[in-house]
Amino acid sequence: MYKAIRSESFAAWAFMAPGLLFLAVFTFWPIIYGIPLSLTDYSVITETHFVGLDNFTRAFQDHNFLISLWNSLVYVLVVPVIQIISILMAILVNSRIPGVKMFRAAYYIPVVTSMVAVALIWSWLLGNNGVVNYLLLKVGILSEQISWLSTSSTALYVLMFITMWKGLGYYMMLYLAGLQGIPADLYEAARVDGAGPLRLIIHVTLPLLRPHILFCTVISVMGAVRVFDEVYILTKGGPGTSTLTSSVYIFQKGLEQFNFGYASALGLIVSVMVAALSVLVFRLNRRGGVNTY
Amino acid sequence: MKKVLRHLIIYVLLILLALFMMGPFLWLLSVSLMPGRNVFANPPAILPTFIAFDNYVQVWEFMDFPRYIINTVVITLLGVVFNIFLSCLTAYPLATFRFKGRNLVFTLLISTMIIPSATAMIVHYLTIQAFHLGNTFLGVVLPAAVSVFNIFLMRQTFLGIPTDIRDSGKMDGASEFRIFVQLVMPLVKPGVAVIGLLEVMAFWNNFLWPIVVLDDPQKYPLAAALTYLNGQFSYNFGWIAAGTMISVLPIIIVFLFTQKYYMEGIAGAIKG
Repeated sequence: MYKAIRSESFAAWAFMAPGLLFLAVFTFWPIIYGIPLSLTDYSVITETHFVGLDNFTRAFQDHNFLISLWNSLVYVLVVPVIQIISILMAILVNSRIPGVKMFRAAYYIPVVTSMVAVALIWSWLLGNNGVVNYLLLKVGILSEQISWLSTSSTALYVLMFITMWKGLGYYMMLYLAGLQGIPADLYEAARVDGAGPLRLIIHVTLPLLRPHILFCTVISVMGAVRVFDEVYILTKGGPGTSTLTSSVYIFQKGLEQFNFGYASALGLIVSVMVAALSVLVFRLNRRGGVNTY
Repeated sequence: MKKVLRHLIIYVLLILLALFMMGPFLWLLSVSLMPGRNVFANPPAILPTFIAFDNYVQVWEFMDFPRYIINTVVITLLGVVFNIFLSCLTAYPLATFRFKGRNLVFTLLISTMIIPSATAMIVHYLTIQAFHLGNTFLGVVLPAAVSVFNIFLMRQTFLGIPTDIRDSGKMDGASEFRIFVQLVMPLVKPGVAVIGLLEVMAFWNNFLWPIVVLDDPQKYPLAAALTYLNGQFSYNFGWIAAGTMISVLPIIIVFLFTQKYYMEGIAGAIKG
């Protein structure tokens, strides 16, 4: 018996070895190595020195970094909007009517296409002479053209909109899976008690979707803080610093200016903040009895 | 009567939403089919006055699309094979073996999902340089060769396999590895299909990391080449629209043919 367990243990580690090796190098190592790196001025070009906590004190005096943190925080405001719209979409595509699967697929297409393509399309639609301006002028909502992505007061919100638009289908599918797990007799019982459609949603659907709402909120908060592709492709943080999010700033410092040490320190600060934010979301939902995997 | 009205309302909402989600793609398709002058019209042309494939022909001649497509296919295939191979091997013992350290491995994996690593890309860059894999496809693929998410998904799948199967294999004197390859793997094909599809999408659409690792634009995959095209020819709408369509269509087609598995997989990801 003892020998059997030993050989099983050996086999288990033999199976896992290649995968764990890759994870060690590309998942665990970046987390670990980021810490010593953040205490140096490593930059390829010059000699490396140990600088202690200098990078961190510098970070909190770095005006652009603080702006990028604020922009990332503003970006998180997209999270509740995504949840509300995608839950409503999920309820809609959960209707049992012919052709509904076709619509589900259609809503999912932005999710599978590349952010490069999505960003290009929206940058044209939102351009000065673009379709969006044209339609809004025609309907009378706007009185003059706005160049949405190069006006500092609108650019960040436009990027948030694009992030939302691309992600809606993904969250819709997650919520749809949740809706399909709700037993139909719960709705029946509530209907017998005289509940209308709105009360059904508030008293039956939403409470039972709770684990899904928590999961989606956590992953979209992380996504919003990490947002990079759409910002990098469309505005590179501009105009000025109006769309400079923390990932873009870290990327600029690290892989464009090769300040690896400083960028690692910034990354570490943001990582700690994201971890705290996710713990907060979990705390707020403690009643939810969630089973993550 | 009431039911008909209800269905009517639902269809109207579904169609409005479809316009919102698909409208931009349809407009892109329409721009890509417009002849040159149409594209720059003011007010902006929404539908082409007549359809022409000039943009596709010209951009195909101008950009070496076959090369970018081959690059993308090679990167995607490498990425998918690595992911399937590594996540199946890693997930299998976690689901079926009893061994010391199993919980430790599991906790370690979960913790990587909670701790986000904004610095990861910088360290990946240094690692790839240290391995002398800069400017290679392997350098593009290796940092994403296995993901914790896929391991969880496969573990979930392996948990659904009856334990009798492994026992019967042992009775016949088969080795653990042989049991895994010949008896277990054939039973988890749907799970493999799901992670395969997820990774096809991820690698096909990846643009940033390839740009960081690859110095030579000739090695770029499609999405990265597209940013290059956009930078060079921002004035030529029609070309870029056609180029974008060429890069987007394969993945949309793959999705439409496999959406059943794909969507079940996404849904299965958050089951307890």
